[in-house]
Amino acid sequence: MPRVVLTGSICQHVGGMSAVDVEGSTVRAAVAALEAAYPGLRGWIADERGVLRRHVKVFLRQETVALDAAIGPDDELHIVAAISGG
Amino acid sequence: MTELLVGTRKGLVVLRGKRGGTFDMAARAFPGEVVEFAMRDARSGRYFAGVTHGQFGPHLFYSDDPTAKWQQAEGPAFPPAANAAVERIWVIEPGAADDVLWCGVAPAALFRSGDGGKAWALVQGLWDVPERSHWEGGAGGLCLHSICPWPGDPERLAVGISSAGVWLTDDGGRTWRRSIEGLVPRYLPEEARATTHAYCVHNMKRAPRQPATLYMQFHGGVYRSDDAGATWLDIGADRGLPSDFGFPLAIDPDDPNRAFVIPLSADADRVMPEGRVRVYETRDRGATWAALGDGLPQTQAYISVLRQAFCADGGKPLGLYFGAQSGEVFGSADGGRTWSTIAARLPPVTSVQCA
Repeated sequence: MPRVVLTGSICQHVGGMSAVDVEGSTVRAAVAALEAAYPGLRGWIADERGVLRRHVKVFLRQETVALDAAIGPDDELHIVAAISGG
Repeated sequence: MTELLVGTRKGLVVLRGKRGGTFDMAARAFPGEVVEFAMRDARSGRYFAGVTHGQFGPHLFYSDDPTAKWQQAEGPAFPPAANAAVERIWVIEPGAADDVLWCGVAPAALFRSGDGGKAWALVQGLWDVPERSHWEGGAGGLCLHSICPWPGDPERLAVGISSAGVWLTDDGGRTWRRSIEGLVPRYLPEEARATTHAYCVHNMKRAPRQPATLYMQFHGGVYRSDDAGATWLDIGADRGLPSDFGFPLAIDPDDPNRAFVIPLSADADRVMPEGRVRVYETRDRGATWAALGDGLPQTQAYISVLRQAFCADGGKPLGLYFGAQSGEVFGSADGGRTWSTIAARLPPVTSVQCA
């Protein structure tokens, strides 16, 4: 089962955990599964169109990937928010 | 005790104090996040905050105690068929019917809650108006920022959109018509005005005791409607205002003849005219305006006040409060006759609402 690793303030929406195991064969499916398990997360990683938030990146094997990227059961996804602001 | 909800670029500040006295910070919520708008629904006592997280987007929260935990609402979010995403939550307004609230967002759309603000659904009728394809935003984006329910009649509603004019419904939001007659978009060449859709409404308020009366701050122009928005009358030119450009607008909820604006120098210079912080009041429906500035900075104060950062509390005498992008909150407990600084050195203030 793929593992989603979260950092920063978004962890509050998954009960403070920094990693969650979810079903899914694409990044999009894994994010959807995460949102289904933790509805408070809906709209935070991707907006209601399913578009990744502009300042959020998903890393798979140290490369940024799109939501449609395929993932395997042993993969670890890192969802990282950019350092930005003023 | 008076409670003010102050949205800032770095969190929500809850100020509590005695009218005319000092205020203390009772809470600071959403630290580091942009709180675009916060208000309290007096019917339920529930508080709402529209929060834009720099990385994770805009979300609406509610709480029965702003010093404690906030819950995330279900929405506002566009349905898949709309192929749009909420960019910013601009305003939340209690409706005329029990448990109904309205929410205006960018891109310009109206959402409705029928359960006291926990869950929200798009008002499809306004989203589907054919003219929407011509709508364009101003510097603040294409936003629905003003919502004016009709007390006692849940079917009637007026909304203000920048830059797409005023829209009216008489059937609870199923059908809408545009209301622009009398508005003059001076920012456009004369030859373009007849056909434009770009009516840049900056703010709009309804007089609750005389609901056919509406006041509007336009992008260059202050207007009043006496016929529920069917037509608009210029009440800004040559009547005592130093400028008819600005964003903030407040009304006395008990007096339909009384309104307040905070003019800025011009669209190209959005600061207090002459560096003097002054609120302007009309007591005669805009026939004349008079400056109120006793206690406000009167020299070298080139500050600015945003659209949602001015409110009246409905008390007697009327309490008035506004916040500046430079981090001050000013208040008056005597209808604007005298003012004091009730908070300073806050982050840039985005909204001020009396709880």
